[in-house]
Amino acid sequence: MKITVTRTGGFAGLTATWTVLVDDQPDPESWRELVQSLPWQDRPRLAPQPDRYVYRIQCSHRRATLPEQALEGPWRELVDRVRERATG
Amino acid sequence: MMCTIIPPYLLRRLASVTDPTYAGAAAAARASLSVDRPFRSIRTSEQPPPTTAAGRPGLLAREVEPVRRTIFDAGNLEVLPGTVVRAEGDEPSADEAVNEAWDGLGHTHALYAEQYHRASIDGANLPLDATVHYGRDYDNAFWDGERMVFGDGDNIVFRRMTASVSIIGHELTHGVTQYTANLAYEGQPGALNESVSDVFGALVEQRALGQDAAQASWLIGAGLFTEAVQGDAIRSMRAPGTAYDDDVLGKDPQPAHMSGYVETVDDYGGVHLNSGIPNHAFYLAATAIGGNAWQGAGQVWYDTLTGGALRPGTDFASFAVATADAASVRFGERSPEHIAVAEAWASVGVIARATTTS
Repeated sequence: MKITVTRTGGFAGLTATWTVLVDDQPDPESWRELVQSLPWQDRPRLAPQPDRYVYRIQCSHRRATLPEQALEGPWRELVDRVRERATG
Repeated sequence: MMCTIIPPYLLRRLASVTDPTYAGAAAAARASLSVDRPFRSIRTSEQPPPTTAAGRPGLLAREVEPVRRTIFDAGNLEVLPGTVVRAEGDEPSADEAVNEAWDGLGHTHALYAEQYHRASIDGANLPLDATVHYGRDYDNAFWDGERMVFGDGDNIVFRRMTASVSIIGHELTHGVTQYTANLAYEGQPGALNESVSDVFGALVEQRALGQDAAQASWLIGAGLFTEAVQGDAIRSMRAPGTAYDDDVLGKDPQPAHMSGYVETVDDYGGVHLNSGIPNHAFYLAATAIGGNAWQGAGQVWYDTLTGGALRPGTDFASFAVATADAASVRFGERSPEHIAVAEAWASVGVIARATTTS
């Protein structure tokens, strides 16, 4: 499974992308558990805030787009872990 | 004496509403209320009392109170507001970021107060709050609807966000837009929202530095990149698409003309990309008019933003027409300012030249 996090927006409007191949990780099972715990169907609808980041998260065929303000709980944990482990 | 069907107490109540949903109504109520107030020019005024888009003196005037700033420190957590580290009357801090935020808020308040006679961000003397040291290695600055928030940067790509006066002016202008035209943050109105913030961010910096339109850099966020990045700034209003060209970040992707308009779902429809088009129109108008950009083109853009002609869904073409109308009202039909504004929008491909200069 491949996990891709793309961050757009911010005052500079720069795009950053981080990718993790779960099967190459030392702890693939914990990654799968984290992905399973993501509330894909239950995402808050928030009004845009100027210059905030927007995150596009893709795990295999599932995608979600979340404003920075909604990045909480397992979403936040996933993004932080992907950024930490990403190879580029 | 103005006759109105809405009783003054209701206007006062409405004028004090801070919920962004009612920003338009609140601004209108404040404008109505201010008709009855005696106009008081503030001492540092650089020009005669303002006229509004409708050309009547004092319609938007509300007594402008001195700036009231408070700077908070988030202690590198993503928690707001943080703890108070500097308030009015305090000595400067030992922390450079605190003092830079302080000065930037002051310069921004001064442009709006002294040039446009606007009583702070909301037109009703809103105190200006800012939080510094937000998050760890946080590469961003934003306006959250109530306050300015600055990250320290990661020191790989970005230095601390307070280092740029144009960025501070940019963020606070998002607040002004929220309380006035309330342009939707998506697609063309979103790009206009971004552009208005770049325009007044640039003007805050130019006025603070005493630079006229010919002397100004027209850069947004100059000096925020670290030495490792090949680039001068985040955006260029003079030449959108040329602010940086870096091995890692790539090349500044902003268009300067409608022919380069970017269709994308990212960043609410590329609001930070397509803002290059109205940004360049402002630059062209300001340099054609000459002198201090905050007085000519800046006044026209301010009149447009606050004059009531814009709607949340206003697109580039409607905004262009609104600025040309505002220039005509403020400086006269066929005045150099009016012609320069219409010509600028034609040059970036937003409106047709034949219909604007006939």
